Amino acid sequence: MKVKVVTRILEANERIARENRRQFDNAALYVINLMSGPGAGKTSILEKTLTLNTGLRIGVIEGDIAGSDDAERIEKHGAPVVQINTGGACHLDANMIYEVLQDLPLQDLDLLFIENVGNLVCPAEFKVGEDIKVMVLSIAEGHDKPLKYPLMFQESTALLLNKIDLAPYLDVDINKIKKDALSLNPNLKIFEVSCKTGEGLSAWTDWLRENALRN
Amino acid sequence: MHELSIAQNVLDIVSEQCARSGHTKIDSVNLRIGRASGIMPDALIFAFNAIKSDSIARDALLTIEEVPVTGLCNDCSGSFIVEEVYILNCPVCKGNSFQITSGREMDIIDMEVS
Repeated sequence: MKVKVVTRILEANERIARENRRQFDNAALYVINLMSGPGAGKTSILEKTLTLNTGLRIGVIEGDIAGSDDAERIEKHGAPVVQINTGGACHLDANMIYEVLQDLPLQDLDLLFIENVGNLVCPAEFKVGEDIKVMVLSIAEGHDKPLKYPLMFQESTALLLNKIDLAPYLDVDINKIKKDALSLNPNLKIFEVSCKTGEGLSAWTDWLRENALRN
Repeated sequence: MHELSIAQNVLDIVSEQCARSGHTKIDSVNLRIGRASGIMPDALIFAFNAIKSDSIARDALLTIEEVPVTGLCNDCSGSFIVEEVYILNCPVCKGNSFQITSGREMDIIDMEVS
């Protein structure tokens, strides 16, 4: 006998993401799903963001396959942080976030960063209840990345081009990265930054403050 | 890349729906997967077959209908179907303002139970 199902395969994830969203709304919390390949500088950008005076009360959820190095780095800056170990999974999903929300003082925060597992593919597929997705690409990864991994560029609201201080030493074409990323996503907001020199970070935190407080 | 977690979601959903309909065995499951969904059909079938053995879907055949990428151009109002998984320009007028109207699907359509 034939049974009609007609269900989105990720419906369960989307249902939990909506529940997370409800908790974030109750706490008037602005939530950013921060994504990149491994080593692009997500945690360094969070550390710099916490160091700069944004006036925002910021919390962090760290997602990694294993280890608690990232949470320890964030904790040194005095921000509430929870580490999730996915135990091999290539992305965070809504249920992993749901399970740790009770460990964060949501009512006392303005902005929550969810630092996803380092991976340019899968994190873009799974909603976790965020307001926006932001991605980091270090210029050392090469100018072919937007066209090789288009989904993440299409799904993101902002792109941080990190390690911009390395430009003189690399053959990378930064204008091609920007042109291809904007072709994929004409509304993408692009910041050229360096965690090493601090270049461009104040433009990023100004934008962050504007978006988080508008929430 | 995450075909295994997608396969687990499929197995959970069809097992629950089969049990709810009062049946005990799933014979086949039909999916519709967009070509721009990031899912490789062969890898998804492989993953599903690997995890189904201890379930009521142990004999189920998974079939996948692939959905091509289609779009609607904001500049020339043309609609299009493309072979590529991702496009940067409208194939008709080359403008870069367009909406993708299909190709990202990940749906379970129906199943045979007994």
